[in-house]
Amino acid sequence: MAAKSSSEGERLDSHELERFETVVLPHLDAAYTLARYLTRNDHDAEDVVQDAYLRALKYFGGFRGEESSARAWVLAIVRNTAYTWRRRQHSDTLGTEFNEELHSDTVADEHPEATLLKRDAGESLTRALDQLPIEFREVIVLRELEGLSYKEISDVAGVPVGTVMSRLSRARQRLQEALCAAEEC
Amino acid sequence: MSHPNFESQLDAYLDGELAAVDARELEAHVAQCRECMEFRDRRLALRAAINARVPTFQASDVLRQRVRAAMRKPSMFGSRPRPPRPPRPWRSLAIAASLAVVALGTWQLAARRSAGEALAGDVFTSHVRSLMPGGGHLTDVLSSDQHTVKPWFNGKLDYSPPVYDFAGRGYPLIGGRLDYVGGRPVAALVYGRRQHVINVVLWPSARGGDLGPTTQTRQGYHLLHWNTPAYAYWVVSDLGLTELREFSRLLQQADSAAP
Repeated sequence: MAAKSSSEGERLDSHELERFETVVLPHLDAAYTLARYLTRNDHDAEDVVQDAYLRALKYFGGFRGEESSARAWVLAIVRNTAYTWRRRQHSDTLGTEFNEELHSDTVADEHPEATLLKRDAGESLTRALDQLPIEFREVIVLRELEGLSYKEISDVAGVPVGTVMSRLSRARQRLQEALCAAEEC
Repeated sequence: MSHPNFESQLDAYLDGELAAVDARELEAHVAQCRECMEFRDRRLALRAAINARVPTFQASDVLRQRVRAAMRKPSMFGSRPRPPRPPRPWRSLAIAASLAVVALGTWQLAARRSAGEALAGDVFTSHVRSLMPGGGHLTDVLSSDQHTVKPWFNGKLDYSPPVYDFAGRGYPLIGGRLDYVGGRPVAALVYGRRQHVINVVLWPSARGGDLGPTTQTRQGYHLLHWNTPAYAYWVVSDLGLTELREFSRLLQQADSAAP
């Protein structure tokens, strides 16, 4: 009956929509890559990104940063959406698709790419990345794949720069060991 | 530099996140510590492996459309259930079809771009290599004095690159080095911005001035390119695009003011 919801009031005017399109939309691939590594499967990643973009749209009116900071802003929303998603999956007894505690030591082939990379040390590296605890995984993805600065990562993950630095170092050490196990080094 | 700090410091150094003062101290320590050198080389190998082998992903066209649809009608998408996913065979067909269209559209551009792409690749590699003290080095001549850096190139190149110091604007000169880009030896000038390193690679070009710069991003690094009447310029850094553009404007202004 009262289907016309009050969220109508959150709609942006056409100028803001245009700004959203030029400032936020170009980071969709980056958003998807982060979501993909945090959820470790493409269905969940797509849902997380869609939810995140809806949130971004909702809060965009309050985003007054420069264009150059939009990337970190979007990735922070994606990251928080993924964490919320994860908690929801945890509390849902049927939601075994994404359960860090159950799977983090055994999940290996969540990425279809894993089959393409067979016989390649890349597989062991991607696998090692997938098996890292989520707070290590996110700093690697944000730094190595998204190219964020330490300061930006600290904003996205909500931890001090010093923590970013030590997490990156420890995460790389773990990946290093995986790489060494797969190759001579 | 105390040794126990070394591992996280070295990661920060390779990330270009260490203050210039600490970076120099670290370089000095690494130069005489075999253990550190080995550690550094393993890290460089790891970085190369991550760059080459850990994939980034592209949002599917379906996701792109879902997001665009949500932008037009946010109220429709605000609550579950979300719109049904198209069945899989349809999705892959649609993706294949749109890829085909994209492929057709970009095919003609590809040939024209490839030369520029190769140069951009060279410049990008030069930058990354310059940050890896194992495979290369940041500077052959380390000096914030433009009158030391510029003459250093004498006899090493068949041109004398313009060197500036924008320390007053927050972009101090760090030094210069000889590099190899596009099949020729070139001058690479190194500037700093807080903890970020900016590489400026330039060589004589007869292409004439253009309005530039054009911008591209590779693995988190921005590359800006333009031509002055005398030189082809490439600027590369992990610095934010806004500041890198500002820096490029300073270079362009200095060039146009030069005799």
